[in-house]
Amino acid sequence: MQTKEELLQRLSDCVFEMEDEEVVDVVNAYIECGYDPQEGMLQGLVDGMKRASAMYEEGEYFVPELIVCSDAMYAGIEEFQKYLPETEDNSIGKVVIGVVEGDTHDIGKNLVRIMMETGGFDVHDLGRDVPIDTFVDYVKNNEVDILCMSSLMTTTMPGMSAVIEKLKAEGLRDKVKVMVGGAPVSPAFAEKIGADGYTRSAIEAVEFAKKLVGAA
Amino acid sequence: MLTPKERLKMILEGQRADRPACICPGGMMNMVTAELMDEVQVSLPEAHSDARKMADLAKAVYEKGCFENYGVPFCMTIEAEEMGAKVDMGSKVYEPHVVEYVMDSVCDYRKLTPIDLEKGRAKVVLDAIHILKAETEGVPIVGNLTGPISTASSVMEPVIFYKELRKKNKEAHEYMNFITDQLIKFGRAQIEAGADVIAISDPSGTGEILGPKYFEEFAVTYINQLLDSLQDEKLGTIVHICGQMRPVYREVNELHSNVLSFDSIVPMKEAREYLKDRVLMGNVSTYALEFGDPERVKMLTESCWKNGSDILSPACGLGMKSPLRNVQSILECLKEEA
Repeated sequence: MQTKEELLQRLSDCVFEMEDEEVVDVVNAYIECGYDPQEGMLQGLVDGMKRASAMYEEGEYFVPELIVCSDAMYAGIEEFQKYLPETEDNSIGKVVIGVVEGDTHDIGKNLVRIMMETGGFDVHDLGRDVPIDTFVDYVKNNEVDILCMSSLMTTTMPGMSAVIEKLKAEGLRDKVKVMVGGAPVSPAFAEKIGADGYTRSAIEAVEFAKKLVGAA
Repeated sequence: MLTPKERLKMILEGQRADRPACICPGGMMNMVTAELMDEVQVSLPEAHSDARKMADLAKAVYEKGCFENYGVPFCMTIEAEEMGAKVDMGSKVYEPHVVEYVMDSVCDYRKLTPIDLEKGRAKVVLDAIHILKAETEGVPIVGNLTGPISTASSVMEPVIFYKELRKKNKEAHEYMNFITDQLIKFGRAQIEAGADVIAISDPSGTGEILGPKYFEEFAVTYINQLLDSLQDEKLGTIVHICGQMRPVYREVNELHSNVLSFDSIVPMKEAREYLKDRVLMGNVSTYALEFGDPERVKMLTESCWKNGSDILSPACGLGMKSPLRNVQSILECLKEEA
């Protein structure tokens, strides 16, 4: 029988080395040994994704690598979830994320979602081309700590400002922190429209989000 | 006094002109603003699907003193739409965008419809170029193509596309060859219709997204395949790459285009240092163009010029609410200083 440490290391390696099929077998081997699934997810799979993020920051991994790593992580998580009680909520905060109306470029948003989930946030993804009211209604009807919006086109950036204005008009602005991002977005723009923050990359977004919820 | 076309020709040939040219190609590099549409009473989204209106709006950009070129189309969805993707035509302020993909994997590319130049919006673009060619002279006509990676990731989910560059490498190359052939066909037809310059923008195929290895293997390879297959009877070609260049300067320098264009994250001074012998285009902040004032735009224009830009242009597509006064300030500045 393999030790827990060995299996945790293999789980982490499967994610880090993009073994999205092998990972399921390792999860099963880990479960068969009777080890704790929650620990397997955090100390194994998520650890591997954190190593992948570090490589991304260092410029060794890029988007294709991160996506395949996250696929392996999610495949492992899905397998673990069969053995976990459904109600458990260990998240450090609730995030709602989406790409503003008129824009269907969402690769950056998807990366932020993956990194936020890796970082321990519970993320609700509204998708792309999201109408202003959909953002506002979600904040109105749900408990949310952080609203993340992005745009990859100069022409759709004003949508982020419109959402913030509408949140203000409905008295919801103080209910959430707002983060914005995307290639044409700048810190100056974020400040101008009254967002709580702008981050340049998915990795920075998670660090910033942790500060916003007091978990950094 | 040089005509805009003569000036651009000199710059593309590496000669010294009286001053930099001032160009905004169109395509991804949107140069249409709400104020401009109001002034000439031609509006989007109608002009996306009507050759006469498309040509008129393109003319207005030059006639109102914004840029020294005509450029069509005003979006980057034509190729994807003609191959079968469903496109929302947008509005006066939003550009058209793909809302429904054609396929789920690079292996499925045979599901795509080859681009038919005789119909749809591909024909609209070609007709608009014909009109511009027939009714104007002395001003370069720029035809735009969506880059190979951006086109390829517009007809399927980009997350899967990027993943399959790794996991289905061979099939991904077959797919990219098919896409590039479509772009070659459309590009050659644009030149035949009268386009002087072909501009290729590939925002989804950046070094930052792909990393140096895949950038070279997929972006550089297929952009070059496209460039090399265009006929010689043209003034030249522009390639616009988004994002940081630092990790990929060597690879970018392998691109066979006459001009390299960057967005505002790339300091012109740095680009000039790494790409000594290239004709460079860029990169006045579109944020300043939308929210700044003419003074600020002129300051940025001077700085780009001083730092080595041969062709002044906005760093990205213009925001629709950019004031005309600001947009006109780039060209004004060049004329004042020349």
